[in-house]
Amino acid sequence: MSFLNANTYYIAAFGLIFIGLYIVMAKKNLVKVVIGLSFVDSGINLLLISIGYIKGGTAPIFSRPGISPLKMVDPIPQALVLTAIVIGVAVLALALSLVVKLYQQYGTLDIRKIRGLKW
Amino acid sequence: MVNPVLLIAVPLGLAFSLPIFGLISKRLEKYLPVIAMLFNLSLSVYLVPRVLTHPIIVYIGGWAPPFGIDLFVGPVGIFFSVIIALVGLLVSIYAMDYIKEGDTGKYHVLFLLLLTGAQGVVLTGDIFNLFVFYEILCISSYALVGYLRDRDGLESAIKYLVQGSIGTGLVLTGIAFIYGLYGTLNMADIARQINSIKPAANFITLALIITGLGVEAAIFPMNAWLPDAHSSAPSSISAILSGIAIEIGVYAIARVIFTIFGATDILSFVALVGIITLLVGEMSALKQNNIKRMLAYSSTGQIGLIVFAFAIATSYGIEAGLFQILNHSLSKALLFLAAGYMIYRTGSMEISSFEGMGKRMPLTSLGFTIGAFSLIGLPPFAGFASKFLIVKAALTKGGGLYTCLIALALVATVIEGAYFFRVVQVLYFRGSNENVTRQEAPVVALVPFFVLAVLIIAIGIYPGPVMHVLNSATSEFVHRIAYIQGVLR
Amino acid sequence: MRKIIALIFLAILLWGITKPVSRIPFGTNKIKVAEHYITKDITETGAANVVTSVVVLYRGFDTLGEVTILFIAAIGLASILYLPRKKVSDEVLEESSLILRTGCRFLFPLILLFGAYIFVHGHLTPGGGFQGGAIIASGFALIFLSCRERVVSTVKLGVVESLAGMTFVAVGLIGLATGGYFLLSFLPKGTLNMLFSAGIIPVIYVAIGFKVGSELAGIIGNLMERTQ
Repeated sequence: MSFLNANTYYIAAFGLIFIGLYIVMAKKNLVKVVIGLSFVDSGINLLLISIGYIKGGTAPIFSRPGISPLKMVDPIPQALVLTAIVIGVAVLALALSLVVKLYQQYGTLDIRKIRGLKW
Repeated sequence: MVNPVLLIAVPLGLAFSLPIFGLISKRLEKYLPVIAMLFNLSLSVYLVPRVLTHPIIVYIGGWAPPFGIDLFVGPVGIFFSVIIALVGLLVSIYAMDYIKEGDTGKYHVLFLLLLTGAQGVVLTGDIFNLFVFYEILCISSYALVGYLRDRDGLESAIKYLVQGSIGTGLVLTGIAFIYGLYGTLNMADIARQINSIKPAANFITLALIITGLGVEAAIFPMNAWLPDAHSSAPSSISAILSGIAIEIGVYAIARVIFTIFGATDILSFVALVGIITLLVGEMSALKQNNIKRMLAYSSTGQIGLIVFAFAIATSYGIEAGLFQILNHSLSKALLFLAAGYMIYRTGSMEISSFEGMGKRMPLTSLGFTIGAFSLIGLPPFAGFASKFLIVKAALTKGGGLYTCLIALALVATVIEGAYFFRVVQVLYFRGSNENVTRQEAPVVALVPFFVLAVLIIAIGIYPGPVMHVLNSATSEFVHRIAYIQGVLR
Repeated sequence: MRKIIALIFLAILLWGITKPVSRIPFGTNKIKVAEHYITKDITETGAANVVTSVVVLYRGFDTLGEVTILFIAAIGLASILYLPRKKVSDEVLEESSLILRTGCRFLFPLILLFGAYIFVHGHLTPGGGFQGGAIIASGFALIFLSCRERVVSTVKLGVVESLAGMTFVAVGLIGLATGGYFLLSFLPKGTLNMLFSAGIIPVIYVAIGFKVGSELAGIIGNLMERTQ
């Protein structure tokens, strides 16, 4: 049990990553594949955030005087996650536009039918 | 003294302003990438002599590393900058006439940003910043592969996007591990501490990052997207993807292995993977009838050869690898650009439809032939020097493994010769000789052909000045301690 | 078949990943660069929100790249969904009901105001340019969904986007010209927890707010009108 308690966030993060990878590899609907990519992104973001967490820590903001800097959580992973989220959104938007166009051309989202080129 | 950060800031600023210029005049848009790359080329050539004596380290925002992001403008960085700016300039001149369909303004923005991303990757000294610029490179190439919006283009773009995103996801996971283990993101700072942790954790992190970067570099098990993406993109983009993007992937892998991890123990495995990539690529190229797919598979093969050369890891090997990168960038760009206009004139990508091109488009065919001969490694061209260096490096390294592998590499060269000679034969010696009207490519396209061909021949005959730069670049990869001390003064 | 291969692959990956993870203890303080940021933040940057000062100042170059990535996505999406000739929408859109229209008119300015508040106060409170921009874009999404007769010009959104991006680069270049470092915080630090403090952070966050807001609104607009 102590292993579970100590690593809950990591387990959740990798759970998300693995669910996402499984969706990307096993599903045949293009929209589901894109959803899988977004799962992977969320998992990695959760991993980054939990690496910077400190037990009982506060947000790294000096909003009022007298906040001790020692109990603040690590600000760098939060900054990195901000970047990673934006990258994820960008990829998602582009992927969706490609899916829309593909659907207009083929009339289907099944990747077994969209194969003019050899996979 | 000019600050090298302008190499990134100026193209970025121009790319942001391009939509506004587009509102003023649609004609203006296509000149902006040319201006930006001309600026980058002159600045990087101007910086070469300074950088060779002393690497320039730029602090962004005035924060000293490891607290801020730094640019490490060393010989390697400036070598790649010159290649990116040169090939970028020539391809953007070519694209002024070649790109007519679609929303051309957006094409030029994406093209300029792709080159800016590549520029950022080779200069930065921070691993997360490398990831960000790498994503700029990748995302703009996803969009450009699908630019023509035909069935093939869209399909290969989504394929490329899915595989590329998984790859960058692995890289980001690796970076998260690095941050968790070492608490820093500066490459030199990580390199300084890398041996303080047990090897198992390091090994997995390294494996994640290399696998992720390997997707963009198209190393063997991860190269499924490359032939589709390179063959269905517009030819100018194929030239950039083959000539620059995959080389940037190899650069990033070399930087991670040599500078950050100093992991010399995995290199024989990398050499093996490189040779497998080479053989798979060349074998698949041999049986293609579609010219662009053939060139794309040949790129996979060449990347395998470059990876093999780097994995030899002696200073000869790295030098040969860098030389081969230069040769491949110039020749493959020339091949794709020449093939682009031949396809445009015939309306078909089948090799058999190019019969009699030697008469119809003599200068374009000549350009194609020079590029092909240089990639095969025939004597007066640049390819001869680089392949010779690779063989020499493998033989001086010695050992049964490397001797066997270089023998396989020579077999691959023979295969390469076979399919390129087949195309050259179709160009010049097939088809009827009468009644052919000359339909040469326009002058804006002939300028890049001419410059690239002259460079390939000039470097083949006088490799001296290039070797001078490559010597310093090699020592930057080999002398890891000097890099660390240079950054963390 | 495909599923089994996927599962085997994932099992191998899982086995490998446990090794580095077990070396990264959860919830303990172990970080050296971050400690510098937290303890020196007020004297070096003057921003109350440490995350903001990391995002905009210490790692400002990443943020420039990040803004570029969003720009690429917006441009790439528009080029892929591009229609050669502007189709005059013949089909008359069904007008939305009075309640929807009134609610939308009432809420839209408030959403914009809230978004602006978030990005202007990025250096003092949680939030910043990206979050504020996303809120502004949600206001535009409301317009696209419920006030369909109102046309939002994607050209104007594009101009705002370009100007904001140029502002970011220009601020960086001014820093280079005045102090010799790209993205140098050349404005005074001011007093902690005041609106006009923390050097160039508010300027950059306002630019990012406009940029992200117009980009996301443009993305939503393009997906709406070009896919019907």
